[in-house]
Amino acid sequence: MAALLEVFEAMVRFGGLIAVNDVSLRVGAGEICALIGPNGAGKTTLFNAIAGYVPLNAGRILLHGTPIQDFAPHRIAAGGVRRTFQNGGLFGHLTALENVLVGLHTQVESGFFGVVLGSRRSGVAEATASARGRKLLDLMDLGHIADQPAHSLSGGQQRMVEIVRALATDPPLLLLDEPAVGLAPPMRQILGGVIRRLAEERGIGILLIEHAIELVMSISDRVIVLNYGRKVADGSPDEVRADRNVLEAYLGHA
Amino acid sequence: MSGGTAKLPQGDAPAASWRGRRAFWLVPLLLLPVPALLNQYQQYVVNMMLMYVPVAVGFNLVVGNLGLLAFSNVAFFGIGAYTTGVLMLQAGLPWWMTIIPAGLMGAIAGCATSVPALRGVRSFYLAIMTLAFGELMRWVYIRWEPVTGGSMGMAVPAPDFLGWPLITEGRKFYVFLALALLVVIATDRLLRTRFGRAFLAIRSNEVAAAAMGIPTDRYIVLCFGWSGFAVGIGGAMYAALVGHLTPVSFDLTELLVEFAMIMVGGLGSLVGSVIGAVVITAAPQVFLDFPGFQELVFGVLIILVLLFLPNGLASLLARLHPGFRDRYHRE
Repeated sequence: MAALLEVFEAMVRFGGLIAVNDVSLRVGAGEICALIGPNGAGKTTLFNAIAGYVPLNAGRILLHGTPIQDFAPHRIAAGGVRRTFQNGGLFGHLTALENVLVGLHTQVESGFFGVVLGSRRSGVAEATASARGRKLLDLMDLGHIADQPAHSLSGGQQRMVEIVRALATDPPLLLLDEPAVGLAPPMRQILGGVIRRLAEERGIGILLIEHAIELVMSISDRVIVLNYGRKVADGSPDEVRADRNVLEAYLGHA
Repeated sequence: MSGGTAKLPQGDAPAASWRGRRAFWLVPLLLLPVPALLNQYQQYVVNMMLMYVPVAVGFNLVVGNLGLLAFSNVAFFGIGAYTTGVLMLQAGLPWWMTIIPAGLMGAIAGCATSVPALRGVRSFYLAIMTLAFGELMRWVYIRWEPVTGGSMGMAVPAPDFLGWPLITEGRKFYVFLALALLVVIATDRLLRTRFGRAFLAIRSNEVAAAAMGIPTDRYIVLCFGWSGFAVGIGGAMYAALVGHLTPVSFDLTELLVEFAMIMVGGLGSLVGSVIGAVVITAAPQVFLDFPGFQELVFGVLIILVLLFLPNGLASLLARLHPGFRDRYHRE
């Protein structure tokens, strides 16, 4: 049976620079797979390739066994790959609830003419989505900030809203780009718990880029180390911790 | 779902919008006796305000909600007006039958204008390209003389609505009020739903919008298309109101007037578009008796509003009473 996400020998070239070189990986349902490596190792580029923003020069990306490497980003998102962004991808002027509703966009069944003519069906679709969005925020204890503009929220709240938004449609695969950056250690712990529960309780496959190494080691099932666009290690947190290549990637040759 | 809406917290959206909607209908109702109170000239000015409502609404949708600096609004306006003029003069259609075609031609022009935006042209580059489109249309009005009457313009036959001749300004008022209302209501519905959220999401962060499954290209085309439709209808109204179309009416000065409407009213605010259309049309009339002084006061007014109310007069209204706040207006 096909894994949730499979990347085969992916290569991304920017002019003379090979940002991602011959990288293969698999993420199964309910599995947390971390991508670590020094700055410029190609982690975010690989994310962008999976999400459809960066074309592959070689290789294939399969979602449930279907090749998606030629799909536009919105199609990949509609197909069940959702992501959060490194620098916070919330729509600042929209409220927390509206952000979640944008996350639900593909599931709000109101057509253009139905909306303009004020059809009952589109009204029901909007009200249903609204109620669902509030419920999703409530589940994460964010109900009280639902009607506040996103830019007025704290860093931790923003991160949580972004995760709620990414999860609104129950996607099978979640790409998290440095979710812990800028968070205080206690908040990181809470976030780690949330991510772990998403994988265990809801069976979501998670691909995670993170520099907070203790967080990565404590929640991941598998850790993949990239350096200069190449995969230099792939294994359980303990295996990777003991790997010589990893030390070299981070510290240089001894 | 009905159980869910019943126990929403205080200040909840559905109740507020419902209250807002009922109050909204008071405005056109209160306006109904207006023709009995005004002379023909005053009525003409009020009609012009109503004509500018769809024009400002369409412009604001692209600039304020979608966040693209597209200055092709006057092109849509002129295309709508000339579509009406040509259909009446050359095809002999009654005015009311040209309203929808004028909107559709505006929509086609809108979709065409979105092409550079789809190819990634943004900010000042998009502004200049769309500005060039407006000027190009002016060249078409001048050069396509057999159809448009060239730089001398064309006289639009007397308008009628379903056989009811619009011989007085008072009669035009009711038809214009209905058209302006229809455009505002339809646009309001669009903005309250996932379409309006998608526009704002694209304005805020296109990459993130696509990551939510929004086909951003399609929504950009849609936004331009609806904008062109609304403005095109405004063009049809212009043809009926002024009765004579000349290329010079659709020049850069006209663009500046329309831009002032959405800036003074409030970018991204539907209420703001309506306020802007009213205020900017009314402002020069107030100082009609002081020639020369008029432009000065007009300019100072715009500067003052933008200095002290950068989010437009709509934000002032929202401060006075939260009921005036657009659900989708974002400062």
